[in-house]
Amino acid sequence: MKKILLAACVLCLGATGLVNAQGNTVTTVTYSIAFPSADLKDYIGKTSFRGVNLDFQKMVQDNIGVGLSVGWNVFYQDMGNATYTIDNISLTGKQYRYSNHIPVLMSSTFQLKPGDSMNPYVGLGAGVTYSLRNTDMNLYTLEQDAWNFTVQPAVGVLIEASDVTRVNISARYNHGFKAGNELKNAQSYFSLNLGFTFGD
Amino acid sequence: MKRFFNKTWFFALSVALLVGCYPAGPDYVEDLDVVYTSFNKDFDFQSKSTYSLPDKIVIDVQIDKNGDTTIVYMKDKYAQQYLGTIDSNLQGFGWTKVDIDKKPSVVVTPAAIETTNFYYSYWYDWWYGGWYPGWGWYYPPYYSVSSYKTGTFIITMADPNEDNPINKSKAAWIVAMNGLLGSNDQSRAVKGINQAFTQSPYLKIN
Repeated sequence: MKKILLAACVLCLGATGLVNAQGNTVTTVTYSIAFPSADLKDYIGKTSFRGVNLDFQKMVQDNIGVGLSVGWNVFYQDMGNATYTIDNISLTGKQYRYSNHIPVLMSSTFQLKPGDSMNPYVGLGAGVTYSLRNTDMNLYTLEQDAWNFTVQPAVGVLIEASDVTRVNISARYNHGFKAGNELKNAQSYFSLNLGFTFGD
Repeated sequence: MKRFFNKTWFFALSVALLVGCYPAGPDYVEDLDVVYTSFNKDFDFQSKSTYSLPDKIVIDVQIDKNGDTTIVYMKDKYAQQYLGTIDSNLQGFGWTKVDIDKKPSVVVTPAAIETTNFYYSYWYDWWYGGWYPGWGWYYPPYYSVSSYKTGTFIITMADPNEDNPINKSKAAWIVAMNGLLGSNDQSRAVKGINQAFTQSPYLKIN
């Protein structure tokens, strides 16, 4: 937990400072609801209502932005009281599952109608996602992590709210390819994101 | 500069909000209760029929500086309920209780770990060692005694008639229940004992 918090704060503050040092930038913060898929869904079936994304982009053209995207989605499920049997061993108790995902991506967006009050866009990010899975029973935790190479396609729309502020609604698919020996499969999820974009 | 701080605080607040609603996990101490069982795959439970069980549950063995030992037992009002629960489960699975001097097929040895974990085999070796000279049991490699924590309730089943060069029987069935003895709520331990049998259908011989 401390590792995650520290990483999130450093990324947040560092990236904010980096982008603010330049001109012609846009900054987006969104609340994120995430839906697990594939292996992650097998592990935790529940939707995550705990998520945030921070995006910092420099507009290299009127309709093209490139920059950095960081995020944090936490999946959690209380598995209730159940018996888990492996070979000749059985264990009964309440199991609590946590899966944290922190993508750190280079991202770009292509706006379809720059200047319009409703401005749809498509985007693509690539980088890594730090995935940290904890399975807790009693006072014990099984911790597994991975640094997944990640691609993140996105679609969204910017809705003008003021001269420098727009409402940002987007859908993203975060696909973290299989990495390492601990999490043996790709880690992926869809997210719906709602927030604000600030910028010149 | 002003805008930098506004944004920074805005983002910091977002992260703080997320941290603030990080899922909390267990709410009650009962949520931490776990029941572990394992069995020896080479042990033929179906060929056995009788068991023996002590009438006390040991919780500690204190050794003073002269090497004298004092065995500490669980209070009877608790022990009898737990022993009765073990009896009723075993008999429900078809086992017949006999005295230790009647050569039972297996001995069942419950204990609660109050402070230390070194005494457990020591005491029970003594308990039935009187009838099976030199005999005791040992843990199979898939279970480590170091897993025991304070407050753990343990039950071991072993065949004292097993013949091998080291005069020790491999434990056939092991139960370890963590977190059940931390309060005077006996129903948690009783529920745990019942669960240990529920998840061990291979013990059923009837």
